Amino acid sequence: MQLFSIEYISLVVGFLILLIGIWGILTRKNILKMVIGFSLFDTGTHIIIVALGYVKNKTAPILNQPDLQTDTAHKIVDPVPQALVLTAIVIGLGVTALMLVYAMKLHNEKKTLNIQNYKDLKW
Amino acid sequence: MGTIVTKILYALLTLFIVTNYGLILSGVVHKIGARVGRRHGIRFYQPYIDLIKNYTFRTRITHGIMYYIGPVFRLTGGIGLLLFLPVIYGSPVFDNFSFAGDLTFVLYFQFFGVLGMALGAGESGHPYSALGVSRGLAQTTAMELPLTLGVLALAVQYHTLNIHDIVAAQQGSILHWTLFTNPLAAIAMMLSFLAMMGRSPFDVVLAPQEIPIGPPTEYHSALLGVLQLNRAIFPAAKLILFMNLLFGGATNWGELIIKTFFIYMWSVFVGIAYPRFRVDQSVRWYLGIPLLIGVAAILVVKYF
Amino acid sequence: MVAPIYIIATLLGVAFGLGLFGKKMNSSAGFLSLLALGFASFISLEWLAGFWLYDRAAEYIYTAGFQPPFSINLLMGKEEALFTSLINIAGFFGAVYLWDKLKKIGSNGYVTLMGMILGLNVIIMTRDLFNLFVFLEISSIATAGLIIFSQNLRTIAAGFKYMLATGIISGILLLGIVFMYYFTGTLNIDDFLAVHSLAVKGFGVAVFFVLIAIVLELKPFPANGWGLDVYESADSGIAALISAGTATASFFVMYKLLPLGTPQFHMVLAGIGLATFIGSNLMGLKQTNPNRLLGYSSIGQVGLLVTILGLSEFLGERTTFIAYSILISHFLAKAGLFWISGIVKRSTIKEWAVLRNSRLLMILFGVFVFTLIGFPPFPSFFGKWDMMLQLAASNQYFWIIGVLLGSLLEGVYLFRWLGYALKLDNTELPSFEVKWNKVLPVVVFGAATFVIGYFVSSIHPYAKVINYIPLAVALAFVLIDFLPAYVKNTLAILAMAYYYYYLYPTLSSFGAVFGAIFMVGGIVTLIAGYAYKGQRRGFYPFALMMFAGLIGLIEAKTTIAFFYAWEVMTVGSYFLIIRGKKSMPHALSYMIFSMGGAYLMLAGFAIASVGQFNLDMSTLSHVLVYPTWVFILLAVGFMTKTASLGLHIWLPGAHAEAETDVSPMVSAILLKAGVFGLVTLFLAMGDQLIGGEVSVIYLLGWLGAITAVMGNLMAAFQEDAKRLLAYSSVGVLGYILFGLSLMSHLGWLSAISISVTHFMFKALLFLAIGGVVWRVKTKEMYRMGGLIKRMPFSFFSVLIGIIVLAGLPPLSGFSGKWIFYNAIMMKQWYLQGALIFFSGIVAFLYTFRLIHSVFLGQLKDEHREVKEAPFWILVPQYLIIGVLLFFSAVPNSLLKPIGKIITPYFPVGALDWTGQHAVSPFGYWNGLVIFYIVVSIFLVVLVWLIINNRRAQKVKQFNIVFAAERPFKPETTHYAYNFYAHYRKAIGILVEPKITGWWEGVAEWAHAMGDKIRKIYNGDGQSYVIHIMAFIVIIYLISFGGF
Repeated sequence: MQLFSIEYISLVVGFLILLIGIWGILTRKNILKMVIGFSLFDTGTHIIIVALGYVKNKTAPILNQPDLQTDTAHKIVDPVPQALVLTAIVIGLGVTALMLVYAMKLHNEKKTLNIQNYKDLKW
Repeated sequence: MGTIVTKILYALLTLFIVTNYGLILSGVVHKIGARVGRRHGIRFYQPYIDLIKNYTFRTRITHGIMYYIGPVFRLTGGIGLLLFLPVIYGSPVFDNFSFAGDLTFVLYFQFFGVLGMALGAGESGHPYSALGVSRGLAQTTAMELPLTLGVLALAVQYHTLNIHDIVAAQQGSILHWTLFTNPLAAIAMMLSFLAMMGRSPFDVVLAPQEIPIGPPTEYHSALLGVLQLNRAIFPAAKLILFMNLLFGGATNWGELIIKTFFIYMWSVFVGIAYPRFRVDQSVRWYLGIPLLIGVAAILVVKYF
Repeated sequence: MVAPIYIIATLLGVAFGLGLFGKKMNSSAGFLSLLALGFASFISLEWLAGFWLYDRAAEYIYTAGFQPPFSINLLMGKEEALFTSLINIAGFFGAVYLWDKLKKIGSNGYVTLMGMILGLNVIIMTRDLFNLFVFLEISSIATAGLIIFSQNLRTIAAGFKYMLATGIISGILLLGIVFMYYFTGTLNIDDFLAVHSLAVKGFGVAVFFVLIAIVLELKPFPANGWGLDVYESADSGIAALISAGTATASFFVMYKLLPLGTPQFHMVLAGIGLATFIGSNLMGLKQTNPNRLLGYSSIGQVGLLVTILGLSEFLGERTTFIAYSILISHFLAKAGLFWISGIVKRSTIKEWAVLRNSRLLMILFGVFVFTLIGFPPFPSFFGKWDMMLQLAASNQYFWIIGVLLGSLLEGVYLFRWLGYALKLDNTELPSFEVKWNKVLPVVVFGAATFVIGYFVSSIHPYAKVINYIPLAVALAFVLIDFLPAYVKNTLAILAMAYYYYYLYPTLSSFGAVFGAIFMVGGIVTLIAGYAYKGQRRGFYPFALMMFAGLIGLIEAKTTIAFFYAWEVMTVGSYFLIIRGKKSMPHALSYMIFSMGGAYLMLAGFAIASVGQFNLDMSTLSHVLVYPTWVFILLAVGFMTKTASLGLHIWLPGAHAEAETDVSPMVSAILLKAGVFGLVTLFLAMGDQLIGGEVSVIYLLGWLGAITAVMGNLMAAFQEDAKRLLAYSSVGVLGYILFGLSLMSHLGWLSAISISVTHFMFKALLFLAIGGVVWRVKTKEMYRMGGLIKRMPFSFFSVLIGIIVLAGLPPLSGFSGKWIFYNAIMMKQWYLQGALIFFSGIVAFLYTFRLIHSVFLGQLKDEHREVKEAPFWILVPQYLIIGVLLFFSAVPNSLLKPIGKIITPYFPVGALDWTGQHAVSPFGYWNGLVIFYIVVSIFLVVLVWLIINNRRAQKVKQFNIVFAAERPFKPETTHYAYNFYAHYRKAIGILVEPKITGWWEGVAEWAHAMGDKIRKIYNGDGQSYVIHIMAFIVIIYLISFGGF
């Protein structure tokens, strides 16, 4: 991988977003902001996945393109990470949605979104 | 059958001699004690009078069976102890039943009467009786320790627990006495002997000077008579035991009387010279120097 | 065979189908789900049966018509079949259990539940790493979904923390997976395993992320606060599914991916597991909420499983057996416990006393607790045994210590809980509702523990030869527990008598002596059981279980059979002891000491097995490695039962608070199990030297002597009659230990004969005093007094008992003393010997105190009408007295046979018998002649007294001379309280409870530690995430950074 290649940059960006996401989860007291942090964390992961599958100068693995009919394997980027990322996005969506449901329920119960107020269970 | 009858007759003879000796000894010692205290004292035959008096009393009450047989236990213990000892060395007549058990047995048997009596006293319901027993037992535990160590040292020295053999080993010269051949053990045992005789400073069990206290508190008349009889026999038996173990035994009655008299005097002199210990004091005292002497006796015989 | 894909198809299909169901069709949705889960269970069970019975080959399932790596593939092998069976069964019974709850939620609930089970199934079967990620996410989303159905704040907050944590963990997993793909171009696990290397740079990091994510899924200490919160707050039915289902599946994933790690990482894994196991059990000590406690236990158990995986290199081919037996035990027990907790619905473990309202659930609770800790006959017992043996064989002593320590800690809080449930007052507590659908799963799982326990033992190469019949008979008494006590008593006596008759010809040597103590002793003490009216529920199964264990000890040919019997005996005796009214804390400390001792024994047996070709008891005589340690471990293990000084603190309470006929069983009989152990050990191993110089047995001799003195001194200062007797047992057992330590003919003769007579006099005394306590309703001696008038028969029993105990001639106790003197002289242990004799004299103190304070002295007003002890309690006493008097008059009837047994082992120094005349190298003694002489003198003196003192007037105790005054009242006149005040003043310093204090300090310290550590779980979701992050970093550094 070259230093300023697109895949390298996206890899770095992906990690940055991931770290921002973790930072958000760890430092924000507002539950919604934590969920956003989590979303960022997820997105970062997704970018990393895509970055890893990218091969320079190759096209998307959509096989009905005319110029892909021959020597396919050398002309496309790795399709697997792309499939993976789609699945991961779906799952991430599910998790985020469920987290928001939790946030809503928590708010309904205690009328606050500060995570510090939900420490009834401990030790 | 004949031998058994003979044995029994011999035993009765021993018993008769020792009882009388014990009674007289008791009177004499009282007299000596009084004289040391600048009092006139009783007549030396006073114990006989007391005995007769007690047996002829007409007040006769009992608190129950154990109470009644308590003195029986006591006297059985005294007579038994005497009869299980070889009294006169080398004399088949006064060897009695010593064939039945060795030194270990004799040492344990001395508690037979004490504990039986304690039970009887307990049934009387008198707190002073129980108190006396409690004190006596506590003191005994401590006193036994130097004694046991001494006995063990003796057994190591003579390679036997057979009293005959121990006596036999001491014959020949006064220097063969255990007292001289194994002085540490002898000292430990003679210190224990003080409490065994129940004289001052270890006499808080019976506390004879005060109002009645101690196991016999509730006893009277013939029951007390039995106890008194034991008070003549039991100390005499113990004297004979110590004489056998430490002072070469006796080959005839004269020797026996002289030796036991002087052994007894040891406790009498100490008793007159020293004031009484409380029980906790006497326990601690026995667990001090006498115990150390006993341990030293063991170490000496084991390693030298 | 139904193809495994139908598991997925069925669950998925029904789950989707249920989406079409309306609100009103909840019941039919429920039935449909149950059907689906049942079908899934059927498929996996069918496969399991196929693998097990017909030895089928494992089958790959390919999807989408491609071979891997181009498609996802699943594997149904033997292990997958087992694990999916577990998951589906848990799902099925979980759904049954959750019936009402799910019905209320509606079809969504069923869908979520099935999603979870489906996810777990695929997690187990899949061979594709990304697929694994997807279904991990599915199952955790489904779990979070199930959690959120509980409309309560604590649950929702916990669920949110759970989501946060699992979200982060799966993100890390995903990263790892993707990088693994990046480096290898495959997602197929089998391909990875072919490459397998955490060692390869770069790729190794990717593998590390995958593995650490799986580790985190297993809730390692301390990054597991989120898991605990969910366990505590979720509905018990759901917690059961998480504990039994999710943890099981996650464990399997770890198992599957284990070869990816390097040996070094495996050690890290083992370390994580052990830290989790010990850490969570330590923190569990202070926990009072039942579900959170179960959470701690659950996490701890999974930690243990992780340790097993990490140590697989050392455990070798037994890894699977060990891991599975422990896993299945945990699976069954934890699900069962959570379910019970959901039925009871109490928020502190102290309120679990209410569980007694349902006998069935109480029994099941006990079953699960014992399953969890690894008592026989449950599966984990065999797993733990094998684990220790394998670890010892690989020299891994550190892990042995760690695992046993963790197990001990777990035992502490589980048995405390069990004790609360069994004993605390439950009158104030509201009762709970018992629904069949909630009880059914618990019953099924409870029954399964026995079935699988039996199965596991039957496939164990050594356990299968253990004789299970006695235990089965004992358990059969559970079924006839409804019968009246006298019927069961008769049956129990018959069973014992028959077994003894059957066993008798096979017994030889010391087995014969101890067999007689255990069996004849058992029968004699059982006779007293006729005194009990009603059903006496729960007594006979455990009494017989204890005896089954004791018999097993004698029958044992292998070390595992011995240990098995030992544990069975411990279980039985625990339940006997805890029957006493105030026994709860004492039974607990009994159990803890027993467990501690048992673990030492286990370690000892494990080390002894190293390099041996089999597990025969005879291997103890040629231990190849660390024989000194084996000896010490086993000896200390046995001494927890013989209650030697330092390990005695459980005894007084346990024996004193027990029921009237239980006290003699545990004091007179049970303690001899330890003696039997020591006898076996000493004979097999002989003496051992520490550092080539100090003889262990020499030290044990001192310990025995000091125990004898201290036990007797402490007995002398007791106010409680049964406690006095209990301490006296400590003392006598000290004698026995000393006698055995002499390692000579006479030493053993005295030790063994005292073992026999101790059975008799202690049973006699405990029964007699128990009979008194039965009538006067107090154990405090000073509250009694003068009872000789009311209970003459009991008095006579005690009289004989104490004379024998004190070793006074002419009764048979003296023989022991006499032999001792000779034995000591021959061994030249004079100082120890002097201590022994000192203790003998001290025994006079408490024996007199006992008989005086209870029977002599002043009769209390409230006892003037009290009756003699019950007839059936007197019967065994007089049987024993008869035998004792016979032995006293004819001592060689006891001593000669014992001498004969000892002679092959210690030929030198035997007694020379001529009739009743015994001659030793030092002295002689004739019991019969002495008996005659003493009795004759006694009779003569008695006659003399009667002649002189006829017709004495009988007066009451209160009619005494009292310094010319009348005594005030019996209470103040009975000299009994603090009877040896002066003695205490003199030497009381010796009996200050220093040892008890020390142990209490240890307990206190452990609890304080646990309490301190658990403060890291501060309830803040963000802290939990930080824990996870920090955990990853630290483990990374340890794995790669060369910490």
